Amino acid sequence: MAAEVAAGAATICESLGGGFAVIAVSSETPSPSNFEAVADAIVEVAKREGAQVVLLGATRLGRQVAARIAVKTSQGVLSDVRDLRVESSGGAAAMLTGVRPVFAGKFNAKVASVLPCVATIPSGAYAPQGASASSTQPPATVEIAMGPKAPERVKHIETRPKPKNTVDLKSAEVIVSAGRGFKNKEDLVLVENLAEALGGVVGASRPLSSDLGWLGEERHIGLTGIYVRPSLYIAVGISGQLQHVAGIKDSKIIVAINKDKQAPIFQVADYGIVGDLYLVVPALLKAIETQKAS
Amino acid sequence: MSGKAPLRIIVCLKHAVDESELRVDASGHPILQGAQARMSAFDRNAVEEGVSIKEKAGGTVTALSLGTEDVRKSIKEALAMGCDRAILVNSSKYLDALATSYYLARAVQRAAPYDLMICSEGASDTYDGLVGPMLAQWLDLPFMGYVRRTELRGDGSLQCELAMEESVEVVEARFPSVISVVSEINSPRYPTLLQIMQASKKPIEEFPLDSLAPGPGEAAAPEAAVRVLDTTAQSMSRKKILFEGSPEESASKLLEALKSEGVL
Repeated sequence: MAAEVAAGAATICESLGGGFAVIAVSSETPSPSNFEAVADAIVEVAKREGAQVVLLGATRLGRQVAARIAVKTSQGVLSDVRDLRVESSGGAAAMLTGVRPVFAGKFNAKVASVLPCVATIPSGAYAPQGASASSTQPPATVEIAMGPKAPERVKHIETRPKPKNTVDLKSAEVIVSAGRGFKNKEDLVLVENLAEALGGVVGASRPLSSDLGWLGEERHIGLTGIYVRPSLYIAVGISGQLQHVAGIKDSKIIVAINKDKQAPIFQVADYGIVGDLYLVVPALLKAIETQKAS
Repeated sequence: MSGKAPLRIIVCLKHAVDESELRVDASGHPILQGAQARMSAFDRNAVEEGVSIKEKAGGTVTALSLGTEDVRKSIKEALAMGCDRAILVNSSKYLDALATSYYLARAVQRAAPYDLMICSEGASDTYDGLVGPMLAQWLDLPFMGYVRRTELRGDGSLQCELAMEESVEVVEARFPSVISVVSEINSPRYPTLLQIMQASKKPIEEFPLDSLAPGPGEAAAPEAAVRVLDTTAQSMSRKKILFEGSPEESASKLLEALKSEGVL
C-alpha cells in the first residue's frame, strides 16, 4: 500500500497550502513480532522531522503500529479515513479531517483530530500517483534503522500460507455469493453452476464461510472478510446483514435472489427476484443456456 | 488441568448502538437518542473465548467496560455468559480510543492482577481495533492481534494463530499478555434463564473516571484528540427493481436488464 499512502500524504500536503513535504519512511516489513520496533522507529523519525501527520495503511498490522505510535506520542488516531485534509476555522487550531464508515457502513462520519496525529487509510482510498499526475517533488525516503534487537516478546513459531486461493474475489468481474438460504452444502452446486455460466467466481456470506464452514473462509465477503467491487454481484439466499453489505457496496450492479420480499438485501440491490432460489437459479441457468444457444 | 495457578482473565467489552436497529432522520442523520444498544457483537466472541479458556484451565474471568449506567446491560450479559465479576469505569464523558484505553489500563492496574486480557477485533460501531493494542502499550505487555485460535502451553504462555490478510501466523507470548480475537474463533453461547438470574448476584466493582486520574508526578492523562464532527447516512442509490413473476419470467427479465446494463 506504500504508493497509496504516499498519494494520500501528498493530498494532505496540498490542503496545507505548501511548505510541507511528504517523507516516505521505509522500514522492515512489520510482523506480529516486530511491529513494536517498527512503531518505535517511526516515532523517532516523526519526532526528528516534526511530522504533523503519520499516515499508514489500515491493514491489520498497520492498525497495531498506529496504536503503539499513538500511545507513545499521546496523539489521536483517525482510522479508515478518506478525503483527508487539514482544516482550520475561526482561529481554532488546525485539525486533520477525514471521512470514514461507521455502524457497519450504514453511515459515514466526518472525523477530526488535533495535530499532530496518526491516521490509517483503507486500500483503494487514494490512487497511486502517476509520474505526470503531480508537480510535487517525489517524497524523500528515509530508511530507518531498527534499534538493536531487543528480545521479541511475541515469538514467531511458523507461517502458514492461507489455503491456496483458487479464487481471486478482489479482481473478479462477476461474483455469485451464497447465504443462509441454502439448506444443504450439496445445494451450493447451484451457485457454482451459475458462477460458471456467467464466467464468475463464488463468494459467501459469513454464516456459510465461518459458522457452517460450507465454503472456505477465503470466500467470506463483508466487514470482517473481503471487500469486493465486481461489475456484477449476485446475492443468492443472502438476507443482507449490514456486515455483508459493507463488503459489496462498490459493486457496479447488485442482484438479489431471496424468497423474503422484506429481506434488507433488496434495499441495496439494483435488481431483485423475489422467489425460491431452488426454482429461480435453475430457471436462470436455463435462460442463460438458451441465450447462449441462440 | 496442569495443576498450575488458576488463570486470571480480563475481557473488555463495549456497550454500543445496535447498528441494525439504527434509524435515520429526515436530514440523513442517525437517531442516536434512545437508540437500541447492546454488547458490541464481536465482543461476545471475546467473552466466549475468556469463559471457554477458564473452563479448560481453571481460573476467573472479569468483564471490563467503560461508560454510563446503561453499560450494565452488556456487563450483565457477560456475567450471564460465565464471567465471574465485572469492573465498570463510570464515565459519561466522550473519550476516543486513546483516552478509553488509558482509563481501562488504569482500572485494571488498580483492580486486580491478571494473566490475560482479551479484546475483540473491533467494535461493531467503529471497527477501529485500536483499544486492544493500545491497552497492551499502556501496560507494556506483549500483544497478539486477530487471534483465531488459542492454545495454552504448559510453561505459562499462550500460543495463538493469527488471521493476517495473506497468511496465518503462529506466535507465542508469555503471560501476562493482551490479545484480540476475530469473530471466527468461536460461536458465543446463549446463557440460560438460570444463568441470567444468577448474573445479577455477581459483583460489579465501579471506578468513577476521576478516581483513575493521574496523581501528582504522573504523566497527564490523554485528552480526547479525535472528534466526530458529523454523521450522515451512506447513500446507496440502487435501482431496487423487483421481479415477482414466475421463476422463468423473472429469470428472462433479469437477463435482459443485465444485458442492457452491459454487465453480461
